Amino acid sequence: MSFNMLIVDDSAVMRAMIIKTLRLTGLPLGEIYQAANGAEGLNVLSQNWIDLAFVDLNMPQMNGEEMIHHVRKNPETSQLAMVVVSTEGSETRIASLKEQGVEFVHKPFTPEELRNTVIRITGVDYDQYGSGAQSGGDFDF
Amino acid sequence: MTNMEAALSQAAILTFEELGFLFPTPEFKHEDQDGVKDGTVCVHFRGAFSGDLLLSLHGGLLPLVTANMLGEDDAPARETQEDALRELANVICGNALPLIAGKQEIFHLDAPRQINSEEEQSLLTNLPTATVYIGLDEGRADVSLFLDEELTPAQH
Repeated sequence: MSFNMLIVDDSAVMRAMIIKTLRLTGLPLGEIYQAANGAEGLNVLSQNWIDLAFVDLNMPQMNGEEMIHHVRKNPETSQLAMVVVSTEGSETRIASLKEQGVEFVHKPFTPEELRNTVIRITGVDYDQYGSGAQSGGDFDF
Repeated sequence: MTNMEAALSQAAILTFEELGFLFPTPEFKHEDQDGVKDGTVCVHFRGAFSGDLLLSLHGGLLPLVTANMLGEDDAPARETQEDALRELANVICGNALPLIAGKQEIFHLDAPRQINSEEEQSLLTNLPTATVYIGLDEGRADVSLFLDEELTPAQH
């Protein structure tokens, strides 16, 4: 089994960092899709099967909160596993996001933080994937 | 160092360490690093208080930190460097504001935008509320905070 991922962030550099980190996790990756805002992200979701979406909050055109709202409202995507990757520091706003069933990773993140969140969400057994996965220690980023 | 300078410094150092794998030069004096400016970006924010955060990199720091962020050996294209600079400013601003205002306050950050030297000079006609200079590798990062109004003592 492999996981199709969607990365939604208006920074191409940040999208590349997230993708690089995901590749280092050893997680069995399928297709990796990218979008620069929430509207583009919804468009990708309407055309492809996605297992896990990483979403920034502050983006032009449609921000991450609006995108999450649309995803949860649509019966076809309401159960999508989502991780907000953002600089958001307000505990009030983070709690509100978590009530919508999303995980939160704070920017700046370490590769280990992102990996541990992915493990928690996907329930991947890293022993199953052998040497490809860096299950302990630091990443050589 | 004031509380606001400490907040800017803490947020910037964390950001450069975790995203750019660069660590601050101990006992750095900004007068010792007067390299060419790589670029400046501005982030406008609104919330418990409003204002702008300005980030400038000097002395070849921008291509270096961008390459580190992407895990590349060579300097990425200028457009990619500008994207990295905007993202660094966004992360520094997003992390500094809760350190200043507390973790319950909600802030809205506009998209960071590149500014030219004329715009920067215009902004600098007002004295920044706080500025920190951070030595990183051979270069320097300047982070300035401009508030639209003075904070009350409780907000400091």
